[in-house]
Amino acid sequence: MSSTATNTGVAAGPSTVRILMPWIIAALVVLVLPVFMGGRSQLTIMSQMSITVVFALAYNMLLGQGGMLSFGHAVYMGLGSFLCLHVMNWSGFGSIPLPLLPLLGGCFGLFFAVIIGSFATRSAGTVFAMISLGIGELFAALVLIVTVFFGGEEGISGYRDEGMPFFGIEFITNIEVYYLIGIWMFIATALMYLFSRTPVGRMANAVRDNPERAEFLGYSSQRVRFVSFAVSGFFCGVAGGLSAILFEIATESDLNVNASGAILLIAFLGGIGFFWGPIIGAIVFTLLQTVLGLETHLWELYLGVVFVGMVMFFPAGLSGIIMAHAPAAKMGKLGTLVVPYLTCVLPAIIGGLGIASLVEMIFHMRSAATGEHDMVLFWTEFSTHSVMPWAVAAAVAAAGVGLAVRNAPAFKSAWDNASTLTEGA
Amino acid sequence: MMSAALELSGLRKSFGKTEIIRGVDLSIGQGERHAIIGPNGAGKSTLFNLITGRFPQTAGKIRLNGNDLAGKAPFEINRMGLSRSFQITNIFPKMTVFENVRCSLLWAQGYKYSFWHQVSRSQKLTDGAMEILEQINLTARAQLPAGVLSYAEQRALEIGITIAGGANVIMLDEPTAGMSHSETDYIVDLIQKVTEQKTLIMVEHDMGVVFGLADRISVLVYGEIIATGAPEDVRGDPRVQEAYLGAAMEDH
Repeated sequence: MSSTATNTGVAAGPSTVRILMPWIIAALVVLVLPVFMGGRSQLTIMSQMSITVVFALAYNMLLGQGGMLSFGHAVYMGLGSFLCLHVMNWSGFGSIPLPLLPLLGGCFGLFFAVIIGSFATRSAGTVFAMISLGIGELFAALVLIVTVFFGGEEGISGYRDEGMPFFGIEFITNIEVYYLIGIWMFIATALMYLFSRTPVGRMANAVRDNPERAEFLGYSSQRVRFVSFAVSGFFCGVAGGLSAILFEIATESDLNVNASGAILLIAFLGGIGFFWGPIIGAIVFTLLQTVLGLETHLWELYLGVVFVGMVMFFPAGLSGIIMAHAPAAKMGKLGTLVVPYLTCVLPAIIGGLGIASLVEMIFHMRSAATGEHDMVLFWTEFSTHSVMPWAVAAAVAAAGVGLAVRNAPAFKSAWDNASTLTEGA
Repeated sequence: MMSAALELSGLRKSFGKTEIIRGVDLSIGQGERHAIIGPNGAGKSTLFNLITGRFPQTAGKIRLNGNDLAGKAPFEINRMGLSRSFQITNIFPKMTVFENVRCSLLWAQGYKYSFWHQVSRSQKLTDGAMEILEQINLTARAQLPAGVLSYAEQRALEIGITIAGGANVIMLDEPTAGMSHSETDYIVDLIQKVTEQKTLIMVEHDMGVVFGLADRISVLVYGEIIATGAPEDVRGDPRVQEAYLGAAMEDH
């Protein structure tokens, strides 16, 4: 009995190196990435990614950890952003070091979250979701009404380099801003992770699972939700401050219902079941938005398809898919999945690209200027009014999907085989 | 004089025009093991829900160790030293068994709504949780999600969660419902073990369990207590036999 007890004790608190390893790797990646991707737009995309990571994790404090589905969470990030821009335009900004600005943003976010959370967290479930939606609509409308504060449709802009130099750094170049945001992202992520392991963070899980039981353990489930809500608001505000620094502008689109919807989508895409799920979601989403967004006008269509497919077939998100491989990896059977992946998943992806090509060609025919028949797709220029491209795309789509469907049973049995303990293995 | 662990006087509860609890007076002493029995629909669960603050009473008083519970929320009543289990298993299914128990220790160990302590760093919390797990025989299951446990194990876990906070009044709502004979024996042993020196109040249908565990029994019929007393007295009471026990008693 005692040996089991010790084992569990170890499982409850693994060795320090094992805990710190992912953090060290993440820190190194953040540190080294600009060496390989140092272009202006690349740095901006990576900075945007970091901000989205903070926002998505803060959002998941509610959704994944606390079981609260918020439809208006961009409000706290947006307000943090607007208020930070007002600070940047304030005459005393010269006496504030820029790296402290996100902290102010956090305090603004916290302030509004405390006020709104005091009544919004009385219940979870549908009531909470509806209140959050209402708050989201309310502030989106306020932006256009209270133009003194929100600047109407133009929004509010400012200059980050008017702050007090921080050890001689004025944050004019993109690389300085990248590191400022990267360090903040790292600190915020670590703090949110630590929060999830505090008594109130653990009780947030308990209240999510079973609010009534939590009450009979001495905890007011409303109070637990409120604390999560307030802390989440703080980190949303931090993300808002970072956004103010990076873009030097805040507009209505930063806190409207679209922005709130996007963060829900990001959290789900990455998976809300693991702490690090939303990080994956934020990275993938930002890549789709920026890289795919440059290639095609239809990126939101593809994102929507991926999202619906995800929610229907992999509700645990990308992190869930990754973790589904854990049993196979533990038993050393990951290698047996390579061939099934190549014969089923790869054709499915190629088939998907074929379908996307057809969609792109239809879109080009409908929306290009009259007489403009040539388009570029996958580095190939061709005319949409000839038969050949259509035939090729249709053939690729049919072949890819056909192969994937044909090999699906083999994939499934290989998967089951790899994930279950077999006799004598 | 030490006040009763739990004292109900003139307790009434109506849902709309239907009166479910119709004037209950009951005093349960410190350290007593008290069983509440009665036919289906007699109001046993409602009585439990009134005492634990899940519903407000319509009239009457409930005193826990001499303190009035009127208007108190469940979490406040829990902090005053009363803990309960539920008729339908009520645990945290997505959390591990260990986490389930650890969460139930947090308030008792004074952590309140702290966001500056790390739970995994507290040896006292870990040890406390492991001790409870050992008592309920779930040590080997500690790292599994609670939702995957067998039914009897989930019931045992629920009892563990109920007693973990150190409350001195423990209320169990049908702890052996839906269990096989061997599972029932296991749970009865467990209840006996973990409620030593505590006041136990339970609703139970299994007469074997009731007569084996209880010091005193109250019989609730249509929202009223028609008899209270030692098991032999209740067994012999003609009104009880007439109202409820008749058929069930012949089996024993």
